Amino acid sequence: MKIMVDILQLLLLILGAPLVRGIIARFKARLQKRRGASIWRPYVELFKLLRKEDLTPPTSSAVFRLAPVLLFGCTVCVAAFIPVAHVSALLGSRGDFFLLVYLLGLGRFSLSLGALDGGSAFGGMGASREALISSLAEVPFLMGLVALAILSSRADITGMVAWTLHQNIFNISTVHILAFTSLAMVVLAETGRMPVDNPTTHLELTMIHEGMLLEYSGPSLALIEWASAIKLHAMLALLIALFGPWGMAAGGSGWGLATALLLYCAKVTVLMVLLSVIESAAAKLRMYLVPDFLGVASAVSALAVIFTMWVKR
Amino acid sequence: MGLVGIATEKILSSFSVFLFLTIILLAVARRISTSVLLFSLQSAIITAEVLATGFQEKLASAYLVGILIFVIKVVAIPRAFFVLTKRLKTVHDVKASTTPSQSVFVVAVMIYLSYAAVHSYGGAVRAPGDSLAAAIALILTGAFLMVSRKKAVMQVLGLLVMENGIFLAALLTTFGMPLVIEIGIFFDILMGLLLMGIFMFRISDTFEHLDVSKLRRLRG
Amino acid sequence: MPMGPIEMAFAYLLSVLGVFVPAILIVSRGARARRLAITLILTAGVAGGLVAVSSFLWQTTSLLDLSWATPFPFSFAVDRLSAFFLLLVCAVAVPVTIFASPYFDLHYSEQQRRWTWAFFSLFLLSMIVVVTASTGFAFLAGWELMTLVSAALILIEGDSPERRHNVFVYLLMMHVGAAAVAGCFFLFLPYSHSLDFGMIRAAGAAMPGGIRAAVFLSAFVGFGAKAGLIPLHLWLPRAHPIAPSPVSALMSGIMLKTAVYGFVRFAFDFLGGGPWWSGYVVLVVAAFTGLLGILYAIAEHDLKRLLAYSSVENIGIVFLGLGTSLIFLAHHSLLGAGLALVGALLHAFNHAFFKSLLFLGAGAISSSTHTVDLNELGGLQRRMPVTGAAVLIGCCSIAGLPLFNGFVSEWLIFRSFLAGSSLVDAKAGIILPLMVGILALIGGLAAACFVKAFGVAFLGRPRSAEAEHAQEAPLGMRVGLWMLGAGCICIGILPGLLLRPLVSLVQVLVPGAGVPEETLSIAYIIPWIAAIVLGTSALAALLRPRARMARTWACGLPGLTSRMQYTSTVFSKPIRSVFAQVYRPDRKVEQLPTDQPYFPASIAYQSVRTTSYERVLYRPFVELFISLAHRLRRLQTGNIQIYLLYIFLALVSLLTFLRFQR
Repeated sequence: MKIMVDILQLLLLILGAPLVRGIIARFKARLQKRRGASIWRPYVELFKLLRKEDLTPPTSSAVFRLAPVLLFGCTVCVAAFIPVAHVSALLGSRGDFFLLVYLLGLGRFSLSLGALDGGSAFGGMGASREALISSLAEVPFLMGLVALAILSSRADITGMVAWTLHQNIFNISTVHILAFTSLAMVVLAETGRMPVDNPTTHLELTMIHEGMLLEYSGPSLALIEWASAIKLHAMLALLIALFGPWGMAAGGSGWGLATALLLYCAKVTVLMVLLSVIESAAAKLRMYLVPDFLGVASAVSALAVIFTMWVKR
Repeated sequence: MGLVGIATEKILSSFSVFLFLTIILLAVARRISTSVLLFSLQSAIITAEVLATGFQEKLASAYLVGILIFVIKVVAIPRAFFVLTKRLKTVHDVKASTTPSQSVFVVAVMIYLSYAAVHSYGGAVRAPGDSLAAAIALILTGAFLMVSRKKAVMQVLGLLVMENGIFLAALLTTFGMPLVIEIGIFFDILMGLLLMGIFMFRISDTFEHLDVSKLRRLRG
Repeated sequence: MPMGPIEMAFAYLLSVLGVFVPAILIVSRGARARRLAITLILTAGVAGGLVAVSSFLWQTTSLLDLSWATPFPFSFAVDRLSAFFLLLVCAVAVPVTIFASPYFDLHYSEQQRRWTWAFFSLFLLSMIVVVTASTGFAFLAGWELMTLVSAALILIEGDSPERRHNVFVYLLMMHVGAAAVAGCFFLFLPYSHSLDFGMIRAAGAAMPGGIRAAVFLSAFVGFGAKAGLIPLHLWLPRAHPIAPSPVSALMSGIMLKTAVYGFVRFAFDFLGGGPWWSGYVVLVVAAFTGLLGILYAIAEHDLKRLLAYSSVENIGIVFLGLGTSLIFLAHHSLLGAGLALVGALLHAFNHAFFKSLLFLGAGAISSSTHTVDLNELGGLQRRMPVTGAAVLIGCCSIAGLPLFNGFVSEWLIFRSFLAGSSLVDAKAGIILPLMVGILALIGGLAAACFVKAFGVAFLGRPRSAEAEHAQEAPLGMRVGLWMLGAGCICIGILPGLLLRPLVSLVQVLVPGAGVPEETLSIAYIIPWIAAIVLGTSALAALLRPRARMARTWACGLPGLTSRMQYTSTVFSKPIRSVFAQVYRPDRKVEQLPTDQPYFPASIAYQSVRTTSYERVLYRPFVELFISLAHRLRRLQTGNIQIYLLYIFLALVSLLTFLRFQR
């Protein structure tokens, strides 16, 4: 029973991911006074790409073909860490957050290599910029999670979520606010959203994530796009699980699960609205201001870790 | 306990967190207008704190002080700043000599220091540790802003942030000063602000900029 | 003493490496003799591995006593700590030997080969002696032999003035370190009255605090110099690029670990944890070492220098674990101490594997392209796929990615930082969790560094004619590479293989220490994660049809050239500019003619990276010593009578000293 629930949650994260993208795009369009495409558009695009032919550059090696596949595998594995509607996940209680962050790192590593294998200038450019951003983003990501882990004295995601669930919703601690601030900034950087990277850009010189995908086409591109959608969805779900798990089902009753699922949809919608507002309002940071952005996130997360000392004792 | 009671308790228990957030944002802010808005927000948080204390301690004079703070620090001073910057036609940038992330690290260290200082005194002071630490952190951050921002406007703002901290510390350690002194302090600040405003006009008239770091001629 | 099978194997090991192999190579010049010698080295390696495993299981105490052959007490014993490091030495030595055989054949003349193999064997012997010695004399003898033989191995390749200078720096730093190590033993002497390890251990607990602190600091400096802790790392980036690749692999893979062994032996075994501040000192130095090491590595475009700096970084990670363990010990928190120590030891083991793999990979590249400059390479994966795949494994491991071995040990160290939050002492309770940020930054930068290293060297288009015509490495090289690669994957996916033995090792080393049970669960979870990741990847791969070749998009231009690709230097540019404070480059741009700024005929750009601390830290010392040397030169008059006077004065002063000693 429990494992069925866990698998269903994982499937929700994987299959719902394109929808999240579609809805965000729609919200953004509305904010910019456009009609916007259908929210199901990402699914159509995935199907279209999956039916197309796969092209590889003549200079590339096996790495080019393997990279998207491995990226997809890692991202799915990351999604298996995150509880959605029920306080459990396939890997949630066994694997801890270090594993989660480093699995994302493995996916990124393989995609960067794939980009470099294309043999064009843009792949290298994207990979080089991604290397900078991701190596700096890892600091606030881990430290923010460390602060929460210290508070809950657990290192596994499910344990941390279960602990938060038992707290009073009104008793916001300093640590939670600071950790949320830093992790929210990290999510923007990790998923390549607006102040850090423009997900809709097609101007080569401003691309970071998109630059790495330039040589990919057909099913390979579909896998990468799907993986980045899953990553976005999983990150949002992680924020919800860590900072607003209230309403999540802990038992096995069907009604509890159904309400928890509805609540999850509501919470995710709130985050999507927030994201689209940020994306519409904020201008993309210059490349060399991104380290400052992440430095601020690191400082805030360090402060969160320091504050655990006074909150806990 | 009614709704007001719950709100009071929440304000008292978590206002220091929000004060910390405002000073972190002040360290990040790159525009003068943002900094002024943040100062106004910070003062609003302190207003809420004063009103909550007044409600809890049943002090009528605290309400008066709260209203005074609101009028002067949340509305009047920020407005004066906006008018001032508009009249001075100065550039929006605060001209920080440290990058945002460096500033935040400095502020983080200051928050840590103020916490450590307050905790080392332990029970010697009656005030709740969090809030007193927030007050000291405000003083330190104000000083840091004055040191690291080159615009004369920001020096005034730093002074005001410091004053916020001093006011908060006084409020927390004495649980409400005599009203006369409070009003005296406000008057003091208003006069100071007036003087600074005049000074800034003079500076920008004479040197055609507001960059303090270029005022080397003062050395004589 | 009767000789059991373990003792016999150990005696075989020592005699083969120390006597037979050099003797064979000196006596005979033929290729057959050399082949015999290599086979003997391999059998010795296997024997060493067996000795390590069996003495780990049965916990033998004393193995061999050679005191009759030397004027000093000179004996060997393999306890669990020694067995672990002996296993490390042998497990890396065998693949390196297999690799080295075709490598030396390709690169060296007949004469060079003989000497190289003789010294190679002695080098292995010296490292085995260091990790198995049970008296101070044996330890120091092995220590000194290790330094000299490795210097000889570097000099065999040639002796240009620059090379000599680098070897001089290497020898100088090693001897400063050796002096400090010898100092440790002599500090023990008044209390233990012997240099036998057992006696030293017994004396360790009873020593006064001041002496313990002195021993600790002396050991930290001495072994730190060997390990390459910043600021004593200067020799590493100088010695490695000029050493032949298999020797670099041994030096970086094993020789640095002997320093870790020595430090663990002194700080944990003999002293049972240092003074209360010891952990913090180690932690701070290690954090600087890790961060600066990887930052310098990422800026390099010479593959071997890059790897050398990355060794500095990894040693930093190992010492982060050791420092954490010392902090826990100072607070009598034995579970945390065990966890951090297991992490540090495992990382030392893992680093031995992937770093020697990568150095061998650099050797394979230089054999087929004659360069290790990343900006001259590219596209090698298509040309040497087997080598490339092995190097990719090494890169993933060193970047600390899950499913590879580097991750497991970094994870353990991360968890020990996290466990630090439970310490009651507020100082430690905050500093340790904050170290997560440092290690995360190191890990992130390491990933970036090795994306660059592998991506630029092996992927994309070749950047030079040599790379264009590169050939796959010979069979022996590929076998050596893949043995190490298989080890990386094996530990990466089944960490339980080493984790359990390491826990039992730590329990012996620090009585009462252990590891929190939940952290051992990594051994069960990693295979699951591997299954999920690889299973999903396989499923996803099924979704795709076969690929068709199509031209790389060139913005509508006729075609791309390799000059349009990102080079190693450009790749690291964003990171270098963000951390510009660390590098402090001296840039010089020359534009000609100067009167027409917009239409220059030629622009010359020069960027010299002098490391700032090198200037700040070493310059005063160097100047001091040079001026001292100039003053001392006055003693050298050349007059023989003056020299006789010196001898006479020395004799007289010694006699007076003796007189007043009584």
